[in-house]
Amino acid sequence: MTRFRMLLFIFLVGSVALLPSAQAQGTIDRTLRPKLGPTPEIRLPNIQKAELPNGLRVWLVESHKVPIVACNLVLFAGSERDPLATPGMASMTAAMIQEGTATRTSLQIADEIDALGAMINVYSQTDYAGASLNCLTKHLDVALAVYADIFTHPTFPEKEFARVKNDRLTSLLQQKDRPTTIASMAFGKILYGNGHPYGNDVAGTEQSIKGLTRDDLARFYQTYYRPNNGTLIVVGDATMATMLPRVTIAFADWKKADVPAAGTFAAPSIETRKIYLVDKPGAAQSEIRIGYPALARTTPDFFPVNLMNTILGGQFSSRLNSNIRERRGFSYGVRSAFQFTKLPGPFVASGGVQTAKTDSALQEFLREIDLMREKGLTVEELEFAKNRTNGTFATSFETPAQIANALVNVVVYKLPDDYFVNYLKNVDAVTLTDVQRITKQYLDSSKMAVVVVGDMKVIRPGIERMQFGPIVVADVNGNLVGN
Amino acid sequence: MKWRLWGTLAAAAFVLPGILLAQPEVTFEQYTLENGLTVILHEDRSAPLASIMMMYHVGSKNETKGRTGFAHLFEHVMFQGSQHVKKEEHFKLLQAVGANVNGSTSQDRTNYFENLPSNGLELAIYLESDRMGFLLPAVTQEKLDNQRDVVKNERRQSYENVPYGLSYETIGKALYPENHPYSWPVIGSMADLSAASLDDVKGFFATYYAPNNACVVIAGDMNPAQVKTWIAKYFGPIPRGKAFDRPQPQEITLPADKRLVLEDRVQLPRLYFAWPSARGNTRTDAVRDVMTDILSVGKNSRLYKSLVYEKQIAQSVSAGQDGSEIAGELTITVTAKPGKTLTEIEAAVQQVVDDMLKNGVTEKEVQTSLNQKEARLVNMRATVFGKTNALATYHTLTGNAGNINKELERFKGITPAEILADARQAFAQHKVVLSIVPQGKTDLAAQPPASK
Repeated sequence: MTRFRMLLFIFLVGSVALLPSAQAQGTIDRTLRPKLGPTPEIRLPNIQKAELPNGLRVWLVESHKVPIVACNLVLFAGSERDPLATPGMASMTAAMIQEGTATRTSLQIADEIDALGAMINVYSQTDYAGASLNCLTKHLDVALAVYADIFTHPTFPEKEFARVKNDRLTSLLQQKDRPTTIASMAFGKILYGNGHPYGNDVAGTEQSIKGLTRDDLARFYQTYYRPNNGTLIVVGDATMATMLPRVTIAFADWKKADVPAAGTFAAPSIETRKIYLVDKPGAAQSEIRIGYPALARTTPDFFPVNLMNTILGGQFSSRLNSNIRERRGFSYGVRSAFQFTKLPGPFVASGGVQTAKTDSALQEFLREIDLMREKGLTVEELEFAKNRTNGTFATSFETPAQIANALVNVVVYKLPDDYFVNYLKNVDAVTLTDVQRITKQYLDSSKMAVVVVGDMKVIRPGIERMQFGPIVVADVNGNLVGN
Repeated sequence: MKWRLWGTLAAAAFVLPGILLAQPEVTFEQYTLENGLTVILHEDRSAPLASIMMMYHVGSKNETKGRTGFAHLFEHVMFQGSQHVKKEEHFKLLQAVGANVNGSTSQDRTNYFENLPSNGLELAIYLESDRMGFLLPAVTQEKLDNQRDVVKNERRQSYENVPYGLSYETIGKALYPENHPYSWPVIGSMADLSAASLDDVKGFFATYYAPNNACVVIAGDMNPAQVKTWIAKYFGPIPRGKAFDRPQPQEITLPADKRLVLEDRVQLPRLYFAWPSARGNTRTDAVRDVMTDILSVGKNSRLYKSLVYEKQIAQSVSAGQDGSEIAGELTITVTAKPGKTLTEIEAAVQQVVDDMLKNGVTEKEVQTSLNQKEARLVNMRATVFGKTNALATYHTLTGNAGNINKELERFKGITPAEILADARQAFAQHKVVLSIVPQGKTDLAAQPPASK
């Protein structure tokens, strides 16, 4: 970076004189592309760590350029902890922590935070749950008091529970309107089945939510919402010296306890490719999901797999998008991703395609996956993927909230402390041979499920003609209903 | 000075002693090339990142009837390469640097931006200049047809295959007079997209994509003197375009309420209200912005608290003041709970609005809204993209990029009395009431109130 700036300085001296002539001249050789400057050095977040007496880990990264503090308290209390028969318990518990504490009603919590212009966002995923806080530095004390209160003293009031439950049931009903949501939920159910937490939607089902009681949630909270089961990430205009005493006081009432270990589950393996059709009469597009239960976040192949996927479907210029959108115009955009989670998460190639082109689009999806499996990447493609990944890495630590999100991954998947320090080195170390090996290993389209949500009477004949595999009809919940 | 300006408001703040609404200052340099291109530079070396945004002062309101959707289709064509950049190469070159690349079209303006590590800045400037100066030699019928298909799929994906997806164009058509430039949707109609020709591309480019109808805004890690030489080198030779007529402000009124019913593939009925309202960046726009916050932002907001929290007859509510360049709209949207009719919803909304019109709003409600605006502003200014976007938008739509530092001043001194007086005017206007109901369930639509 220093060299880059010095070079500029030399230009600066001559620039005043050059300016008019460059304009007057009128012709430059536009076939000569500007050269890139040297890759800038990234200042990585330096993570400071502490632990409160009750076992709550505190990670702090200083960033003082804007007067904002972003907090994220993440707990191992995601839907993987749901009893298999009652999906939605974890996410309902998370939703309810902001609905009343020992000293604040639901409306008071919202009022105090809204009045500051602060934001508390409660979330729950498969592997973790928690809440983020974003506020101006000057409001941190007041906001932190409310934020700590919802974790330490929630009361799960019966009246608020009835309302939140009703709200959730209505949301589940509304999900049936969205082909994208139907496709993703059916895909999860088809890949993981009923015996695996990833087969259930985090939000639960109508049946499971109806059966939940306020006491179920209070019990879930007592079991998993423990300081020693969580990490508080603080990023922004704050220092450990000033934060630690405040946080210690704010979370003082939260008591540690033993937390049961999470269960281990194996996804069923797919022996042969099947095409699962979900009917959405009159749909203008078909929503496609193709994939299988693939890799956990802990896979040693994380870097080669991500670089390969950058070319397959990980960005706009990927093979899938270039083919299906930019050359054939079948879609507004298609993509692929490996969703690295605690247990092996899915590989999924996806997109919405014009109803009349559904069979042709499926053919192109499978063709690109097969071609990647067979031939892997070219030297140029690997180089492109590395450059792309390096550049994206450089732009991913701009705001406190971005840094906090990056740290959530380090916490949840127990990545090494020097993960970001070694990131570029790990990207650079990937060879073409590594890539050729992992494409063979992880891209066998004959063992993938293909889910299509669309206008069945229009799309089925074409799909049958293509003989992609046996056709199975599923309902909007991903349950199989026939052929 | 600004500190003192806000001193009175701070004294009225109820939450904490000493609250000041502080506007984060963005310093920038602005100049114009001989060909009319406005250049705005903001240096921020806190991270090795930069953001470049081109904003062209053209949007769907510059379209003609029969060619709706063209400004947006044209935006797509701009990514298909130019004389010195092959098809697919524009994206590829930028992706290789790690850039976040995109463009967007609204009624009023079209933008193209790249957020990238700062070592790619010269490349981005070169690519933006090539498509501004040398697009047409690279445009072919095949590229136009391909992007026409993509845009038609965008329409299917974002409007036709989405619940309530046709509400926006239905309301626009009802709210505005037939030839008003806001009466058609930015995405356009399928028939008009089909009709777009290569000649349309040429004419549109010649009129609207000239340097004197655009600005280039760069924020981030840069040496401004160096960047100026690049801008002169790549953009300087592009010739100025001819002047053209811009659509002038055309604020509207409705002669009577319009009530519409649309059936859709949805589970729950949804009710939309739309009133003609103020243009953007006006005092009335700011006052109504605060008023709609009071109605619908947060659990304690009036519509949310009454309809969603207490009565539990609605699943969600939203209200907004949408002030654009030549007209504006004020909207309220409510999704009913299962089993509720939109007639019930309309009555409940009316009750909340009537109560506000009778008793006014409180100091505390106003202050809450302003505190939220302050926090949002600080967050938006935390990225180089947030700053280029604000500078480009203020320059294009208000003619003064310096308004970036007056965002909170727009709200200066707003009182409950001013909101009440304005709300009475706003809601006295005739409106559009659109009921979207599940197919075959027109009985759920809002029936007109018996008397008023």
